[in-house]
Amino acid sequence: MSKLLRPWRDHSFQLLTLALAIAAFALSAAIFLRAELEQRFNINTAEALGGDLVLAGSRAPEPEQLARMNNFSISQIIDFSSVLVHKDAFLLVSARAVDAAYPLYGQIQLAKNRFGDEYTQKQGPAPGHIWVADQVLDRLTINVGAMITVGNKPLQISAVIRQLPDQNAGFYSMNPRIVINSEDLEATGVMGPGTRIRQQSVVGGDLEFIKKLSLELGNNLRPDQTLETVDDAALRSLGPLRQLSLWANLVVLLISLLCGAAIYLATSQRVRSREKLAGLLRSFGATRYQVATRLLGWEFLAVLPAVVIASTLGGALIVITMGNQGANIGNAYVSATSPLEWLIALLAPLLLWLAFALPRLSTLVRIPAIEVLRQRQQTHLLSTNVELFAALSAPVLLAGLLTDSLVELGKVLGLIAALGVLLPALLWPLIKGLDLLSTRLPLAARLAIRRLSRRPALTLPLLVSLTLAMAVLTLAGQTGSQLLNDWRTRLPAKAPNHFVLNLFERDMPTFEQWLEQHDAINQPFYPVVRGRLSRINDVPVKEAITKEKTSGHRHLNRDLVLTETNSLPDSNRIIIGQWHGDKALNVRPKSTAQSAIRHVSVEQEIADNLGLNVGDKLEFITSRGVLKASISSLRKVDWNSFEPNFYFIFEQGEFAAQDITWITSFWLPEGDGARLAELLHDLPHITLLDVKTLLDKAQTIIAQASQASALLGALLMFAALLVLAAGLLSGQQQRGRDNALLRALGGNQQLIKGILWIEFLCLSGSAALGATVISLLALYPLNERLFQQGMSISTWQTLPLALALFVTLCGLFASRKALQQPALSLLRSQVE
Amino acid sequence: MNKPSASDAPSPDLPQQVAALLEVSKLAKRVQGPEGELTLLEGIDFTLSAGESLAITGPSGSGKTTLLGLLAGLDTPTAGEIHLNGNAFSSISEDRRARHRATTCAFVFQEFHLVSDMNVLENVMLPLELAGLAKPASTAKDWLERVGLSHRIHHFPATLSGGEQQRVALARAFAVQPRLLFADEPTGSLDHANGKRVIELLFELNQHSGAALVLVTHDPQLASRCQHHLELHEGKIIKKVFSGEKLVEESAIEKFIHQTHPS
Repeated sequence: MSKLLRPWRDHSFQLLTLALAIAAFALSAAIFLRAELEQRFNINTAEALGGDLVLAGSRAPEPEQLARMNNFSISQIIDFSSVLVHKDAFLLVSARAVDAAYPLYGQIQLAKNRFGDEYTQKQGPAPGHIWVADQVLDRLTINVGAMITVGNKPLQISAVIRQLPDQNAGFYSMNPRIVINSEDLEATGVMGPGTRIRQQSVVGGDLEFIKKLSLELGNNLRPDQTLETVDDAALRSLGPLRQLSLWANLVVLLISLLCGAAIYLATSQRVRSREKLAGLLRSFGATRYQVATRLLGWEFLAVLPAVVIASTLGGALIVITMGNQGANIGNAYVSATSPLEWLIALLAPLLLWLAFALPRLSTLVRIPAIEVLRQRQQTHLLSTNVELFAALSAPVLLAGLLTDSLVELGKVLGLIAALGVLLPALLWPLIKGLDLLSTRLPLAARLAIRRLSRRPALTLPLLVSLTLAMAVLTLAGQTGSQLLNDWRTRLPAKAPNHFVLNLFERDMPTFEQWLEQHDAINQPFYPVVRGRLSRINDVPVKEAITKEKTSGHRHLNRDLVLTETNSLPDSNRIIIGQWHGDKALNVRPKSTAQSAIRHVSVEQEIADNLGLNVGDKLEFITSRGVLKASISSLRKVDWNSFEPNFYFIFEQGEFAAQDITWITSFWLPEGDGARLAELLHDLPHITLLDVKTLLDKAQTIIAQASQASALLGALLMFAALLVLAAGLLSGQQQRGRDNALLRALGGNQQLIKGILWIEFLCLSGSAALGATVISLLALYPLNERLFQQGMSISTWQTLPLALALFVTLCGLFASRKALQQPALSLLRSQVE
Repeated sequence: MNKPSASDAPSPDLPQQVAALLEVSKLAKRVQGPEGELTLLEGIDFTLSAGESLAITGPSGSGKTTLLGLLAGLDTPTAGEIHLNGNAFSSISEDRRARHRATTCAFVFQEFHLVSDMNVLENVMLPLELAGLAKPASTAKDWLERVGLSHRIHHFPATLSGGEQQRVALARAFAVQPRLLFADEPTGSLDHANGKRVIELLFELNQHSGAALVLVTHDPQLASRCQHHLELHEGKIIKKVFSGEKLVEESAIEKFIHQTHPS
């Protein structure tokens, strides 16, 4: 036991153990958080998709396809359009027939009446029952409990649909939604030959087997069939959880890198303090094996308890905080912390120790005893560089394996790691050059520059570590704040929680008065015209859309919602072409025939499906005739923005001769349902959608993501400060010796302070320069992955400069002991 | 130009300077130890003039290094005073003491203490630069030539033998033309042959420079080469031989015996 406690007397061991403990704490916290987020993200994606794999087609799957899928849990869903009949009233609806297995994942949110409290259910309606959306009750002026006819089958309304688990993007549709049991489907008689249906076979199971099934099914799809898995959906999704998950992966990698650098620096100091003992042991006749066992073995055993305790604390922190959050949102909390995660969390810091500390510590075994006893310093630049490069590569690979995201974040990491090593190597000639040019500089500057330029074994690792720490903090600061800002603006506290459709011009005064009366805040009003796409570049769409573009046909067989505005909605981003609201486009020659052609902006995904490009001419048939326009831009739309969004946005003024209704969304403060009943009483023909449940869920996710990202940021900051501390402490002994000698030779305090100022300013200034270059270069691929957008410069870019000053001040503070090193110690050979 | 040469240095044939360079009176040093106050030095008195040499000897722990540290102004006494050139030295600020050291004193350490990341020339230039003297490079080169290392001026300390490193240290010490040179076991880290060579050089350079020399050593032979001799035991002077005073002071032990046994 005393052998385990003995190393703790040594400052360098304390520093090394602190570095390892913080690495263990930060890594295990980050690993657990990442696992937790990954799990939640997968659950969310699977819920949004309905299962882990969805095979969709215009008719039932082939028997052999069914046979393959029957080994998994499976649910069959049939979507079709139908008409509800109640007394003399008819209503076109989007119907869904579900079996007993529906939904495979998640829960259905229902209410007992139009404005009643919601409750959850894990299964679809029983045979003979029907669930309907709010609007059905409004339009047909009926209540829960009433009988309603679907085709030939009367069914009893037993609940109001608030939200289906797989009701993701596009939660507002023109037609109200109903859900029935598939056992009633035949009796309704709506499924005749030629009826357009979309049948989805939703499969759930182990992701490894799902991948195999996906491959088997993917090879034999019918032309009308599409196959989608969680992975496909995940790639498309860029929700907060997805962004956070990516960011968490990045943070794990960066923490590994920083903690590794800190361990490397701390070990360097430890090696220096153990060199004499190693030399003595060798001179007493100890074999290399004996030296290794005595020095490295005990070293390992001594650090082990600290690593285990710190890993456990880090893991426990996440399990406790995230577990509570899971309970808060009312979801069944499934812990992602498997024994494997615990094992990884324990092994990761030890692997870092092996990668960073062992190569350095092993020099104690390798170097000849005489070298140590003569106290000759081993300052081979090449071996320092090789060690450094090997050590820097290790955590990148390690963390890459841990997070399984090397491919995704490889570009960013490769860039950071390569530049982390390369830039100091490039800065090195600059420092050497300064040494050559320093002959005319004042004495303090000359001595400071010499200290840096002539001690590569001390300066280079410190320069690399500082550069990396500064670059990482800048990148993390910028992307982290950008993420939080992105989420905040996407879903502000007063994000719209209701949608209203089918407003007429004459309804506006009443509606606006109602909004004002109830302190509601509305988004812009958009005019809506329904139309079908009829021609593309003067060619009928049926001919223009090739058979390969089967997904495009979905958009051809139904009315599309068209709008006009010259203001680009906040949740839209132009990716190709120019927005027609921009002035340049409006300057057109009036005399040419082209002046009749108006502009339209098209959503990117539908443009891809239909094979549309900027410059293509489109023709729509509406109730009042034909609408013609040329595509001026393609837009990326955030469908989760809780604002009205459109596939086609026309230039303002085009709808003058059309039948227009209006659409908007609004935020209504908490209160009783009577307010909405009053609105529906005054304007019975409007469609009102309550998306509060969806919004609450999204806002909870944002809040969780913000908390988690703040925690990750704090861990990262911790790791960076650790590097700084290790770096500053590693040169302390040498600085103390230098200062004592200068004092003995007559150097005054002012000169010694001046040397330290210049030394730290040069060092941190060079690191800041390197960090700025790295962060500028790494921002592009990072933004592309996290935000799907390119470069964005912010004030964070000045952070390395501020950090340089901070490092200098910390360096001076840390060196105060070295500054006070009594020159007398030189006489006693007691320099510490 | 401060080019040192034999003609610049005071010759031993010149009349002896009367004014004291270093005056030490009732010097004491006490520190707080785990078992109360510990006396490291007590009752140290002597005077040293320019060109004279003093050997301080004694067993380990007798207070030699503590005394050297106090004399050089690297530490401050608990009691007593040191006057350097007639000015109080031990009671002034650390920075003023440093300034005096830079212009008046020089050191030769047992472990050389060369700056490892400076080459030989830069090491010798360092105290010249600290003292703000003109043309430090040419002065340093001259002194390196005197110690026989002009061919190694661009070498770094790690590539030199122990004897060569101590010769660089001698060049560094004499380059500033100090009036007072402190040498702490200058041969302690060297073999006999190298040690002998370094000592010859030390006394030769000292003779030409006219500096006063304070030498701490275990070696009686080396001590006998100095004009004066102080022997310490447990922080007190037990033997004081100052040749100029023609007096061999009664040792503290003998005094103690006389006091306790007056008969």
